[in-house]
Amino acid sequence: MDWIFLGELTINGALTGLLYSLVAIGLVLIYKSSAVPNLAQGALTMMGAYVVLAFSHNLGWSLWISIPLAVVIMFFVGMGIERVALRRLAGRPIVMILMMTMGLDIFLRGTTLAIWGGTSRSMNLGVSYNPFFVGDMLLSRIHMVGAAVAIALFIGFMVFFRTRMGIRLRAISDDYLASWSVGISVERGVGLSWGLASIVAVATGVIWGEVQGVDQSLSILLLKGLTVAVLGGLDSIFGAIVAGIILGVLESVGSFYLDPIVGGGSRDLIVAGVLILTVMIRPHGLFGRHDIERI
Amino acid sequence: MAQNETRQDDMILSLNSIEVLYDSVLLAIKGVSIEVPRGGMIALLGSNGAGKSTTLKAISGLLKSERGKVSRGEIRFDGNLIGDFSPQDRVAMGICHVIEGRRVFEHLTPDENLDAAAPMSMSRSEMASEKERMYEYFPRLAERKSSQSGYLSGGEQQMLAIARALMTQPRLLMLDEPSLGLAPFLVTEIFGIIQRINKEEGLSVLLVEQNAIAALEIVSHGYLIENGRVVMHDTAEDLKKNSDIQEFYLGGGEGKNFHDIKHYSRRKRWLS
Amino acid sequence: MFYRLSGVHHSSYKSDRKMFPVPADRNLVVFLLILGIAAPFLVPSLYLNSYMLPWLIWTAAVLGLNLVTGWAGQLHLGYAAVMAVGAYSAVHAAKFGIPWEFALLIGGLASSVIGSLFAFTALRVKGLYLALTTLAMQFVMDWVLTHSPAISGGSHASLQSPTFALLGQKITSDAGLYYVALGWCVLVTIFMLNLKRTGLGRALVAVREKDFAAAILGVNSFYYKVVAFAASSFIAGVTGAILVATFYFLAAPEQFAVNVSIQVLAMVIIGGLGSIIGSYLGAALILLVPGIVNKIFSGGADVIGLNLGIETLAHIPNAAYGALIVIFLMVEPLGLGKLYANVRDYLMVWPFDQLKK
Repeated sequence: MDWIFLGELTINGALTGLLYSLVAIGLVLIYKSSAVPNLAQGALTMMGAYVVLAFSHNLGWSLWISIPLAVVIMFFVGMGIERVALRRLAGRPIVMILMMTMGLDIFLRGTTLAIWGGTSRSMNLGVSYNPFFVGDMLLSRIHMVGAAVAIALFIGFMVFFRTRMGIRLRAISDDYLASWSVGISVERGVGLSWGLASIVAVATGVIWGEVQGVDQSLSILLLKGLTVAVLGGLDSIFGAIVAGIILGVLESVGSFYLDPIVGGGSRDLIVAGVLILTVMIRPHGLFGRHDIERI
Repeated sequence: MAQNETRQDDMILSLNSIEVLYDSVLLAIKGVSIEVPRGGMIALLGSNGAGKSTTLKAISGLLKSERGKVSRGEIRFDGNLIGDFSPQDRVAMGICHVIEGRRVFEHLTPDENLDAAAPMSMSRSEMASEKERMYEYFPRLAERKSSQSGYLSGGEQQMLAIARALMTQPRLLMLDEPSLGLAPFLVTEIFGIIQRINKEEGLSVLLVEQNAIAALEIVSHGYLIENGRVVMHDTAEDLKKNSDIQEFYLGGGEGKNFHDIKHYSRRKRWLS
Repeated sequence: MFYRLSGVHHSSYKSDRKMFPVPADRNLVVFLLILGIAAPFLVPSLYLNSYMLPWLIWTAAVLGLNLVTGWAGQLHLGYAAVMAVGAYSAVHAAKFGIPWEFALLIGGLASSVIGSLFAFTALRVKGLYLALTTLAMQFVMDWVLTHSPAISGGSHASLQSPTFALLGQKITSDAGLYYVALGWCVLVTIFMLNLKRTGLGRALVAVREKDFAAAILGVNSFYYKVVAFAASSFIAGVTGAILVATFYFLAAPEQFAVNVSIQVLAMVIIGGLGSIIGSYLGAALILLVPGIVNKIFSGGADVIGLNLGIETLAHIPNAAYGALIVIFLMVEPLGLGKLYANVRDYLMVWPFDQLKK
């Protein structure tokens, strides 16, 4: 076995994993504040990428204007979704909340594609496709940029959760009734978390759009994001980062050994396997809270 | 008439025969009228399920989260009708409800618990001095201020819940069973602090208690609620002397049989 | 007026346990059944085969999922995978020369075995986590199907189904295939109607409401969860096999992909959790709406002279399907079954409804 090659697999896997963490961070933000597993995060990611493209390609504006504009628009889209669709389902059985997010996923995907079409387009961030050499190892530049964005978002949210607004959000995730009793607006807090998750979705969409093109496949990232979020613990942003790296490495190294045996395509199998094993062995994930419903 | 108005002005809170419906079918409170004088301390006594907590939730607006609503009667705070306001608005007006069961934000530190409750309009320096004041009232909290609140003892959590409520700058503090599950010396300590805050700052207090002995020591007046109705209202001194109260809530008096209990509640209901 | 009785009154346990406590319900069911049997003579064969038949088969599938999700309260996002197991085993069995009656049985049993694997997940976790595991299992199933040519039928990943036959009679006519679907759907419906009245049905509801409370009452919740999953999977397997044998004629992995699981769950929820009539209505709505919306849009665009792109038109049904789910959950989370029950309750006491207050 070539150690350099294994190192390359590991590091590129970890970088890809951090890109999965981007999706997971969005999921965690919403789950933390309202215990809603947002299965529409993939569709939001896709929509975010398309909104950026709508400005940068269709109108020909610079990405430096397009991305902030998309961030603002998607922030309000996220808040709007919470306000219109999710708020009135509070207290309903989880099956209805899950169905609602799946319905939103189908709706957002359908609407986005109906407006902008499904042919794959590129983001053109301007990141070079030439590999980056570390010694003899080849690393992908765009993955490095994405990993940096993931870590920057992680640090940003860590700081945010120490601010007064952030502390209030954490209070909301602890106890709704107690939050109301001291005058915290739970509704506004949950709405804010949807807005923030949608901002994360724009970042995810831009990075992944550069990696694999902007098309419907962006919404399929949901399964990987979900696996990362569950493995890290659905309410832990730190967990999302660590689990992203773990899943990325497992997927990259694992598929290298498994693919020749099973005839290719083992990445998805590994992801699904990690999800099943996590739930079976440690449902609250690596860093999640223990108070989950068990039998 | 003029006399009536001045009376209204003296009261920070007045409930005028309110009714509370849960799920639009279950009548939990049937015409409760209560008044809390400005700067006064009032106790609401009664057994389990009598409707004390529901009364407090009607005042703080938290009924909404339990699918309950005030179906009749009016709630006045400072002379204004507050029935249509959200819980946040009521907190901003100066009503704060310390809910039952010491529900602190368990994954936050005590310090962060206090931060979370401070109104957004409060400046950082004000917030710091307010927190200092809280730690002065509750020195035990100061010692534990950066450990996780979920691991505090029951008494410390109750103190934190009260301090957190005080951070919202209330003019009326409503406490729901602060003595629940606490050792007697802690109850004395907490009640002592509440009394001190009431005296020093003129904070009005509405105290809900099952522990009538402790409550009647610190309040000026008490209301007795049974089956969603106020059945008795008197000064604390007189309530303590009342033979029925002694019998049923203070655990004194000579033994009576069950027939008398039935007779008692029937008689009391007619009084209201 | 329609029900000719104000409220439901029972004077004995026997009458309380009747399948149809209200005679009008029974009459309605009999009427609908006659309509169903007469359909081939009333409906053009195009509609019969492209609307009625799939509707009945999907209804059977929805009833099966309702058993595990509506009655036993266990989330299941891998239902299509279980259907696939039944479909593929039955088709392979039939290709092997086994008569279709037994092939269907084999399909159902194979699904039961695989479906019970899902149940073992349900023994450990519930709610969201159960949903996620079943979702992951669906992906594993998809993967196995697409990556094993031996199962999925070679390089084209499609498997021709042998001609359907019962009792040695080959069934090829439109009406014949329709009656197979109708027969199966009626069978499942009767099973579900009776389930309500048995100890099993009550135990499942107890497990749904609070499994540990059920356990305290002596209901073995582990056992009943496995039974629920096995029974529901059996229905899924046979339904999957019939779907391939009478409608698709060709088994392909994408017929049983994750979006199909979501679609069946959407039918269950729009129909109303645990509602039998709702299962029929939910399946109908989900199957019909995207097509109708597409017609409206393409027709409407012509009328106002708007030139909608092909891609736009292709994705509008999807958007409409999603919007249908979202709007339904916003307006009536308890589904069409609840709407039907409201109407029925109203008519039941009509014209004395004002006396209720």
